[in-house]
Amino acid sequence: MSAAVLELQRITKRYPGVVALDGVDFTVYENEILGLVGENGAGKSTLMKILIGLIQPDQGTYRLRGAPVVIKNPAHAANLGVGMVFQEGCLVPNLSIMENLFLCHEIGFRHFGFLSKRKMRDAAHAALGTVKVAADLDTPVSETTPAVRQMIEIARLLWLSKLYQQRNPVLILDEPTTVLTDDERNTLFSIATELKSQASIILISHRLQEIVETSDRILIMKDGKRVANIQARHAGIPEIEQMMVGHAFAADRFREDEQIPPGDQVTLTLENVSKRGVFEPLNFEVRQGEIISLVGLVGSGKEALCRCIAGLEKPDTGSIKLAGKRLTPGSPSEAVRAGIGHIPIDRRSDGLALGMTIAENVNLLVLDHLKVGGFISPQREKKNALRWIQDCRIKAPSPSTMCVNLSGGNQQKTVIAKWLSSKIHLLVLDHPTRGVDVGAKDEIYRLIRQLARTGVGMIIMCDTLEEDIGLCGRMLIMKDGQLVNEVNCPPYRKPSPSDIISSIV
Amino acid sequence: MPNTVTSMLPHRSTSWLSTSATKGRKWFQRSGISGQLLALIIVMGIFTIGTRGKYLSLVNLQVILSLAAIPAIIAIGLHQVVVLGAIDLSVEGVVAFCVVIVGFLAHNKFNANDVGLWIIPITAGVGGGAGVINGLLNTKLKIPSFISTLGMSWVLWGLAVFVSKGQTIPLLNNPLRAVVNGYVLGIPNLAIIAFLIFAIIQLVQDRTRFGRYLYAIGGDEVLSAQAGVKVHQTKIFVFGIAGVLYGLAALFLAVKLDSAQAITGNNLLFPAVTAVAVGGVALTGGIGGAKNAALGALIVTALNDGLILLDVNPYAQQAVNGAVLVVAVALTIDRKKLGFIK
Ligand SMILES: Nc1ncnc2c1ncn2[C@@H]1O[C@H](COP(=O)(O)OP(=O)(O)OP(=O)(O)O)[C@@H](O)[C@H]1O
Ligand SMILES: [Mg+2]
Repeated sequence: MSAAVLELQRITKRYPGVVALDGVDFTVYENEILGLVGENGAGKSTLMKILIGLIQPDQGTYRLRGAPVVIKNPAHAANLGVGMVFQEGCLVPNLSIMENLFLCHEIGFRHFGFLSKRKMRDAAHAALGTVKVAADLDTPVSETTPAVRQMIEIARLLWLSKLYQQRNPVLILDEPTTVLTDDERNTLFSIATELKSQASIILISHRLQEIVETSDRILIMKDGKRVANIQARHAGIPEIEQMMVGHAFAADRFREDEQIPPGDQVTLTLENVSKRGVFEPLNFEVRQGEIISLVGLVGSGKEALCRCIAGLEKPDTGSIKLAGKRLTPGSPSEAVRAGIGHIPIDRRSDGLALGMTIAENVNLLVLDHLKVGGFISPQREKKNALRWIQDCRIKAPSPSTMCVNLSGGNQQKTVIAKWLSSKIHLLVLDHPTRGVDVGAKDEIYRLIRQLARTGVGMIIMCDTLEEDIGLCGRMLIMKDGQLVNEVNCPPYRKPSPSDIISSIV
Repeated sequence: MPNTVTSMLPHRSTSWLSTSATKGRKWFQRSGISGQLLALIIVMGIFTIGTRGKYLSLVNLQVILSLAAIPAIIAIGLHQVVVLGAIDLSVEGVVAFCVVIVGFLAHNKFNANDVGLWIIPITAGVGGGAGVINGLLNTKLKIPSFISTLGMSWVLWGLAVFVSKGQTIPLLNNPLRAVVNGYVLGIPNLAIIAFLIFAIIQLVQDRTRFGRYLYAIGGDEVLSAQAGVKVHQTKIFVFGIAGVLYGLAALFLAVKLDSAQAITGNNLLFPAVTAVAVGGVALTGGIGGAKNAALGALIVTALNDGLILLDVNPYAQQAVNGAVLVVAVALTIDRKKLGFIK
């Protein structure tokens, strides 16, 4: 086995009410891809933030390339060749790609006291070449896709490690694939595998498939402790899941036995709804308690269609009716009032008030039901919040924890809880299980089934085709802005993914 | 290569420039002043028609340039604070205080002081000092710039009136008088000075690390700090430069009026803020440079000059300016950055 780059021992980190890390030992070897998995709130991100000096551990030792170090801040870590690509991204949005690449390390580009654009350009092309990005260097980062942003960050970290002559840098990728399309994901992993010859990579993900396929070694964390360290080639997904959550999962993953036939009443009707250049006139209905899954590649128009239904975009033609009543197109507030819920894909920025507590977020839409004599009753508020925190298995010290302090997956569960607790007739779920752990996924499936039983119609777009097939009762397949096929998915007589892929591509 | 970004700008198929000029057009779109140049042309066009050409006479153009110079200098100082994502409301107080200092230290009627040309570094230094205090209040004491600079303005204004007892101090034979009021090749010297200040600041913004850090902080302060940007140092420096430019503006105003009095500071903030906003500097921070501030000052001055030529009632003129400010902010603000409006 090759030498260790990073060695952390007995790392402990406490927050009010939680022990985020409890005496964790953590070692990274040269030229390896290390998969790090664990439930939401297990402490993965906290450990990584300690690696780059964003937070300091309460206890524990940190050795880098054999020598003990104290990492003061992320800039210091980057100089030492340890860097992290954040889920939210850490590039400055208004600066260009080139400016971001070299931010704070421009000193070598000075030419008679002024920065030489030409020198910077050459270096930028070379740096981006290592991650196979050909980009217009003057584009502001805010106008690039998440995939490109990740690559810029990786390129920056590699460039810095060269600049400061740090052998074998350590790159941390915290849930990089949650924001990527399938193609981009494959590119990322092929680049990661190539970079292995000169760097170590720590990969965090809730998609165990990609962890098992990409990593050399897998670490499993649970409740702030390291519970296992296994070689990836000996690992099976069910075993990993069991170690993460503490119990095994039934074969009936998507709770098919709870699937019910749709009701008679029509909840949502779309008539000739279209958006120019995005999707052509469409007609379909969603019945009470029916789960419809929209599938299609990126660019098939399914995302825009969902946004139209939620009132976030205005269709060019056609009408959208909820229980026979026509909705004003392009009005999100009317959609919410009429009872259409929308769980967006980017829950961090679209769905959650980060500065508010879990209870406040969960209760936001149901405040009217929590009133006693015209005023909001604190007891009821607490009771409702507690109930949903339990139902959705949000892991937090108390309902009054601020949402900023929650782990990524628990923030997502909070948004889901907010909609589930409100009185809705139709729910649009855009990747409801993205970034949540296996245990919570199961919980979300259970909640979806429960909502269906109470008559809520749902439109879902899932992370994997298996999930789509497993959850839905009917599948609508979109391709190039058209509805090309409709497939029934009754329980126990589900189509296989290969049947469906042929009509998607 | 699957991950390639080409230019993200909208491609228009109908082009009024030849294809060989695409590079120029790209520069034009990216320059961040295309809209402002267009606005300036429209404003000037309308008034030229409205005044039957009188607006475009040499004399009037000279008037516009010399009137635009001081607001431009102030706006160039102010806009960098706005790029940081902060605001500086201390202009009027700083100018009032610096003007009174000029009254006391330059050759005058009331005392025997005469520091000669030393008055330039002195006023710049006093203004800069006030700016540095603004910066320290903002970074070290963590007082929102809106409050700290407003407080600073009132403190300095009060001191200026108190120290000068509200008097007007006539200046005698100021050595700068000829420079401030003169022309070179028909161009007012003050406009040349403003242009030089613009050129220096623009160069610093484009080609130095300080410039990078300024825009990085404006884009995202937390992320910049993580990348290693010295946020406090940069901010204090920006407030300091703003103060230096207010101090210089104060000196030029006093010399131009040939007298020093605290009320010279009045009515300077609004035009400066309007110039910054009209120039296309986003009040949300991170966008717009010295060229925007300078051009904004020129547009606002050209507009007001035209309104005066057309004999528009001064109150109506004020209303026009107010509307221009609100519209400019509405057009330039980066709404993505605002979760909610306060
Ligand atoms: N600043 C903070 N204040 C209080 N508690 C915190 C803070 N940061 C993290 N925590 C808590 O520490 C625990 C570990 O969080 P962490 O973000 O490391 O989880 P994670 O393993 O990355 O989960 P996920 O898969 O959901 O991203 C959680 O219980 C979280 O609520
Ligand atoms: Mg995390």
